[in-house]
Amino acid sequence: MKSFEELLTTSAEAHGHLCPGQVVGVRMAILGSRLIGLDDPSSRHQIKKLIVYVEMDRCIADAVAHVTGAKLGRRSLKFMDYGIMAATFVNLETDKAYRVLSTEEARDLAFVYAPEVTEKYRQQLEAYRRMPDSVLFRVQRVQVSLSDFDLPGPTRRKVSCTSCGQVVRDQREVVVEGDILCRPCGQGAYFSDAKEVSWPDMDLAPVPPDSKQQAVNSER
Amino acid sequence: MLKTLDLKDAVGHKLAHDITEIRPGEFKGPAFRRGHTVCEVDLCHLQRLGKNHLYVIDLAEDEIHENEAAVILATALAGDGIVWTDGPREGKISLLAGLDGLLAVDVAALAAFNMVDEVMCATLHNHTLVKEGDLVAGTRAIPLVMKRAPIERAAAIARQNGAVLRVRPLRSAKVGVTITGNEVYHGLIEDRFAPILTEKVQALGSEVVAMDFAPDDSEAIARLICSQRNRGCDLLLLSGGMSVDPDDVTRQGIRLAGADEMHYGAPALPGSMFLVAYLGDVSLLGVPACGLYHQITVLDLVLPRILAGERVGKAELAFMGHGGLCLDCDECVYPHCPFGKGSTV
Repeated sequence: MKSFEELLTTSAEAHGHLCPGQVVGVRMAILGSRLIGLDDPSSRHQIKKLIVYVEMDRCIADAVAHVTGAKLGRRSLKFMDYGIMAATFVNLETDKAYRVLSTEEARDLAFVYAPEVTEKYRQQLEAYRRMPDSVLFRVQRVQVSLSDFDLPGPTRRKVSCTSCGQVVRDQREVVVEGDILCRPCGQGAYFSDAKEVSWPDMDLAPVPPDSKQQAVNSER
Repeated sequence: MLKTLDLKDAVGHKLAHDITEIRPGEFKGPAFRRGHTVCEVDLCHLQRLGKNHLYVIDLAEDEIHENEAAVILATALAGDGIVWTDGPREGKISLLAGLDGLLAVDVAALAAFNMVDEVMCATLHNHTLVKEGDLVAGTRAIPLVMKRAPIERAAAIARQNGAVLRVRPLRSAKVGVTITGNEVYHGLIEDRFAPILTEKVQALGSEVVAMDFAPDDSEAIARLICSQRNRGCDLLLLSGGMSVDPDDVTRQGIRLAGADEMHYGAPALPGSMFLVAYLGDVSLLGVPACGLYHQITVLDLVLPRILAGERVGKAELAFMGHGGLCLDCDECVYPHCPFGKGSTV
């Protein structure tokens, strides 16, 4: 794994700015990976062994994802919307899993770890670098039950919603009074009043649809 | 976990913890010790202590008793020069100075330690001069039985820089003293600085091996500094000439002597015109005239730290500002007062 400082720099670049959350997130990811026995989680030979659950959509989450290489689209990153500054690191090979929680007291202790820095934001930045892991985090050993439908790899199952026809992948459907429904139809959604519409320039495409034909012609 | 027994059913059971008795003005201590088997004759005594129920302990694998926890905590907190002689008493361990010296408290680690639920440690102030056997701290786990994990986490926090508490011995320095000022040099007035500084140096276990007098002449002062170094002095005190008058040239003298680090001014009253400088490994302390009048000044805060091996620089001086105001009491009770107690670094 790269050094803490290197990871912090690249994480801050990827996130958009350097902030106390980046420091905590990078350290959380380094600790979590170490606990499950992965010394270079984003490397080719380790990345498939790792699943990471993040429990908040804050700066820390980006740092954890950056350091571990876990990605939502690869199903190695899971977002649990708990509003808790924590992440769980699972080694799929060994089933070892540790939940690392950022301590609330670390915030209160910033002024004793960086007393010479007066501005609060910078004080937290510096203090979170200096605090030992034992001050910055609590750790729980946990069991994580992962079904086949949660694992990376190809889609294991597809069904269609009997209400709207939408295809639902990997057993995310719900059954209501015997009907298979997508979650928006069965449980309600974050949106409402969905109505299909047309929109301006509907035929736009990054690559024009006739480009393939033109390419074939030019080869002739 | 803890189970509760009615006192009448407790005969034959072992006590899960020390039971404290307090007789105002007369006694405070354990009336019964942990492990004592309760007998019929104990029941009246226990009732007088307000005990109508007693605990029986049945520890789960992940639980720990307060006494075992206290030992883990004390072991982690105690660094070089810290000892404890008794095991836990009423769940508490008293930490003592194992030698004469200066108490060093890792204030950040101590605060972080005390942020962990169910543990505590209270100490004397950082940089307190202590004698062998002095009580310097006490620690305990708060509940009778608790989970082991937070105790181990608190112990890890305590060990983050080795330990929270240390006593650093004071070295015995060979001190050179230079008394500056034309008025003393030419015999217009009698010097009173020499005995004051000598007494302070000796009280800390060091020795004044050179005592020189200089006029208000920066080159003469510089020559004496070099001369005292050559005579084997490893700590130099210079008095007078630290103020703002044109005749105050001690600072120039120190600079001419080749000081490679110099901090003039300290956020302490008395002692704001104090100076700390370094000539290689040799520390130079410039003592302003307030040292003649006030019994305790910033010199009393800095000198022990220098003798304990600390390199006092800009930051260390700056942090003395909090608590650096002497109240100039009619009867000085230093060190049992706030002067110099606010510094966290």
